[in-house]
Amino acid sequence: MTSTEPLVRVENVSKRFPADRHAQVHAVTKVSLDIGHGETLAVVGESGCGKSTLANLIIRLHDPDEGRVLLNGLDITQLGPRELRPHRKTMQIIFQDPFASLDPRVRVGTAVAEPLRVHGIATGEEAEERAGTLFELVGLNRSMLQNFPHQFSGGQRQRVCIARALALNPELVIADEAVSALDVSVQAQVMNLMLDLQRELGLSYLFISHDLAVVERIAHRVAVMYLGQVVELGPRRAIFENPTHSYTRRLLDAVPIADPHQRRTRPLLTDEIPSPVWQRGQGPELVELIEAGPGHFVARED
Amino acid sequence: MSLLNVNDLTVTFDDLTAVDSVTFNIEPGETLGVVGESGSGKSVTALSIMRLIEMGTRAEISRGQVDFTMPDGSILNLLNQDEATMRSIRGNQIAMVFQEPLTSLNPVYPVGEQIAEALRIHEGLSRKEAMSRAREMFDLVRIPEADKRIGQYPHEMSGGMRQRVMIAIALCCGPRLLIADEPTTALDVTIQAQILGLIKQLQVETGTAVMLITHDMGVIAEVADRVVVMNQSRVVEQGPVDQIFHAAKEPYTQGLLSAVPRLGSMAGRDNPEAFQLAGTLQ
Repeated sequence: MTSTEPLVRVENVSKRFPADRHAQVHAVTKVSLDIGHGETLAVVGESGCGKSTLANLIIRLHDPDEGRVLLNGLDITQLGPRELRPHRKTMQIIFQDPFASLDPRVRVGTAVAEPLRVHGIATGEEAEERAGTLFELVGLNRSMLQNFPHQFSGGQRQRVCIARALALNPELVIADEAVSALDVSVQAQVMNLMLDLQRELGLSYLFISHDLAVVERIAHRVAVMYLGQVVELGPRRAIFENPTHSYTRRLLDAVPIADPHQRRTRPLLTDEIPSPVWQRGQGPELVELIEAGPGHFVARED
Repeated sequence: MSLLNVNDLTVTFDDLTAVDSVTFNIEPGETLGVVGESGSGKSVTALSIMRLIEMGTRAEISRGQVDFTMPDGSILNLLNQDEATMRSIRGNQIAMVFQEPLTSLNPVYPVGEQIAEALRIHEGLSRKEAMSRAREMFDLVRIPEADKRIGQYPHEMSGGMRQRVMIAIALCCGPRLLIADEPTTALDVTIQAQILGLIKQLQVETGTAVMLITHDMGVIAEVADRVVVMNQSRVVEQGPVDQIFHAAKEPYTQGLLSAVPRLGSMAGRDNPEAFQLAGTLQ
């Protein structure tokens, strides 16, 4: 861990959802990790591993059942809505489907300026002007401010969502599968934009993705989640060049490589990920992380 | 002789040309990858070959031929066949698997019966014979605990298992061409690897040709013998998979490849790096 205080510190956070009267989904179990200033932490894993729930816990769209989240050293898990409000500016989120994230009947310029009005930072012409600046920052034309979401392509819409996320000068942007629905050429352009913005604005990203090839490009550090727990955490190079947990290796082995010279033959498997649903009073076995290298932690396996 | 010869296929929706003068062929037993971004015309091409595109849409196949070689060596232009003939070709000669198995399966029937239904309609089997063949198909697509699974409803199965059921339905009448339209796009990466491996293995076991439609260059690199690259309704480039990935001629293909994140490409580099976009993406 770094000596300076991280931007976000997640400590032993858990979240369970009721499945039925007798059972619970253990979505996130005892997760601890840090996000440093100006760094991209990627969280990878398959459907249902808890990566989106973790993001929602960090920005307090969900309240954790246990554990806490520190933002610049301040515990935000116990803050009431009013106390939390000034801190919400620090964290913004972008989702997978930009069309679902924009109101179809609101002009995008108004949507981008809305956070400014809500937080009482700017109104009227000043807000409009700031929206224009944000548009240029994300590579859109100022003249498009008057348009409606349906007049944009998918990639442009995601740029609008990024502009809106940046309106309040956040320190952390959570990207929850933010490039997953985009065509590959657009995906590359949006990722390049995110890298540019990080350099210019010193942003931290929590980059949630199922796509390991994308993560390899953009992340400084990587957390691998499996059934609600972090099973491997470390610098990107350690995870990709020295994957140590069996699940990390399995994930990496499954990624198709866009090079026919690197074709792999794999055994015909049929096994699937077990259920995260447990009877009340029961739960998954807690993993124990041990240090495998500098900043590289791996769950102990039998 | 090619199994399928698509020549100058052109499909329009009113004023919009969704497929424009598309020409390619598929040889018996090979895997042809069709890759392109959203709206490039790859799915409309597939649905036109199956003659499903005109159903419930304003699509019109305005030009071209789709010549399919029948088992007896005769060649049928599928664009000239009546619906009764097409019904006998679909499933028996050309079968299709789609992206989302949950919407392709009937939620109120057990999956085993849905395989049996195809066998009863296409092969005239009795209910008992059909169920017994359905059970064999479950083994073919490596569904574990087949005796239990065969009586399950689609919602009781995972996405990967459902896609195995869809593949079983598609292959149950022994088609010589399987059109798989984004068959693994909705699946997790470990399950995707399982399904792609299964399709490859079944191809070896049954000799079926596969037309694999995907937006994913990684999937193409992994399974295709030859590749057709589509963009804006047209074929921009086609060739053997090695040539497309290592000696692409068209700026569009070069651009597309420059935008693909390749696992392992960042080895030895400490910090994130932007994509160096090439071709038409420059």
